[in-house]
Amino acid sequence: MNKENTPALEIVSVSKSFKEKRRTLPVLSDISLTVGQGEFVSIIGPSGSGKSTLLHVIGGLTRPDAGTVRMNGAEVTGQQGHISYMPQQPALFPWRTIEDNVLLAQEVHGPVSREAREEARHWLAKVGLAGFEKAHPHTLSGGMQQRAAFLRALLSPQELMCLDEPFSALDALTRSDMQRWLLDIWEENRRSVLFITHNIEEALLLSSRIYVFSSRPATVLHAIDVPFPRPRREEVTEAPEFLQLKRQLSEWMREEQRKMQAAHQGGSRQ
Amino acid sequence: MRSWWKNVWPPLVAVIFFLLVWQLLTSLFHIEQWILPAPSDIARETAAASGGLWEHVWATLKLTVFGFAIGTAIGLIIALILHLIPFLKQALYPLLILSQNIPTIALAPLLMIWFGFGLLPKIIVITLVCFFPVAVAALGGLKQTDPVMMNYMRMIGAGKGQIFAKLELPHALPSIFSGIKIAATYSVMGAIIAEWLGADKGIGYYMMLQKSGYRTDRMFVAIMIIVVLSLLMFGLIALLEKWFVRWKPKQG
Ligand SMILES: Nc1ncnc2c1ncn2[C@@H]1O[C@H](COP(=O)(O)OP(=O)(O)OP(=O)(O)O)[C@@H](O)[C@H]1O
Ligand SMILES: [Mg+2]
Repeated sequence: MNKENTPALEIVSVSKSFKEKRRTLPVLSDISLTVGQGEFVSIIGPSGSGKSTLLHVIGGLTRPDAGTVRMNGAEVTGQQGHISYMPQQPALFPWRTIEDNVLLAQEVHGPVSREAREEARHWLAKVGLAGFEKAHPHTLSGGMQQRAAFLRALLSPQELMCLDEPFSALDALTRSDMQRWLLDIWEENRRSVLFITHNIEEALLLSSRIYVFSSRPATVLHAIDVPFPRPRREEVTEAPEFLQLKRQLSEWMREEQRKMQAAHQGGSRQ
Repeated sequence: MRSWWKNVWPPLVAVIFFLLVWQLLTSLFHIEQWILPAPSDIARETAAASGGLWEHVWATLKLTVFGFAIGTAIGLIIALILHLIPFLKQALYPLLILSQNIPTIALAPLLMIWFGFGLLPKIIVITLVCFFPVAVAALGGLKQTDPVMMNYMRMIGAGKGQIFAKLELPHALPSIFSGIKIAATYSVMGAIIAEWLGADKGIGYYMMLQKSGYRTDRMFVAIMIIVVLSLLMFGLIALLEKWFVRWKPKQG
């Protein structure tokens, strides 16, 4: 098998339920998805459907009840340390400076070189955090913390990046800046990315493929390929085909929302 | 400097007020000096005795610092071992709590019988009062690590040692320091008790000496010195804490 054809990440029939007291809460139900080498793949799905849980399974934090996780052809189910990760909450360490926070993932995998430190500073400036290298996280805004957490994932040594709603705390303007910026660096470096978002337009702009999750327990409702050529510019968001896809995705999402509400009301009437 | 003053003046005024009332009451009711000396008497006595006191203060301070260092170290080591080996924690934590129900005062004479009048039994007494607050605070701090940060460390493949050094320990530092601060004030008390039981110098020894002579004023001098020493130890640790956890956002 040559490396080109083995996917960076392959999830096969993963199921997971949480057991609480006497109840079991099914969260993931028979999820299969693939991230090819150098592919940018997004997951969108309603809140509480199990997207973060899936990342925990991929990162080896949670063992699935069934199914396997494979990376570059090797099974890694339940193993930790194979992904570069950005959690949904920034989880910066308050006693570390921003620069040291950004370098944490590298530090865990070996001593940090001078060049790595230089590079971290360079990136911090690029995401608008110049002058905050020696600041502690609590002095930063939520959006700035998110950017630092994003850099920490970007500078992690592992090839596959798993990003859990990386831009959710940013205002619309900064968000679209960060999207464009992520698009640029991704098109330069072509790392394999699994990207979770609630934002349909963001998913369409960045991804090569989008998986649409149902509400809990999550199943893969649709997998759509995003056909726009690379390198993409922001103008693509105005193309009729883009709008068409966006409408389609919104429709699916709204349907899920409706189902969820119906289930909720049905439940509360009893 | 202004904010420092803002914090300091209310307790200062309270202390001055308290001393004034004390002074007034003793003279108003003509209380005998050997029952309760007035603050002015104590001040006069302190000035008169100061030359001979230094030797005792110095001996007590040395004993306190020495015992405190050993007690704190033992407290930290116990916390570390119990934290790393959950089974041991389960087995020994209740015993740890139980150990604090034995009053040190009751134990101290026994220690003198077993270990004589040297340095060792005194250090043991101070260790006994110091290790507990440190161990309990450290164990509590180490247990309450932020789960989101913990998940992050696991996901990126950090090992047990790295999680301890990079996350659990720094996360527990504020709580460890609050334990050490308590131990610092206790350590002075421990040293005094140890000296009561058998010493040839030190503030505890000085107190015993004055007690037999009904020199209440000098007893108060000794008490004042104990308070000052306790405050000194506390302040020293508070300063260290300020430096070690300088990342912590200020409250309020
Ligand atoms: N450790 C856990 N124990 C029990 N239940 C859990 C646990 N983790 C998650 N859940 C439950 O699993 C469900 C899915 O949670 P998850 O965080 O994966 O959702 P999500 O899709 O990431 O939502 P959001 O978009 O709001 O972040 C939720 O109902 C949650 O309550
Ligand atoms: Mg989530």
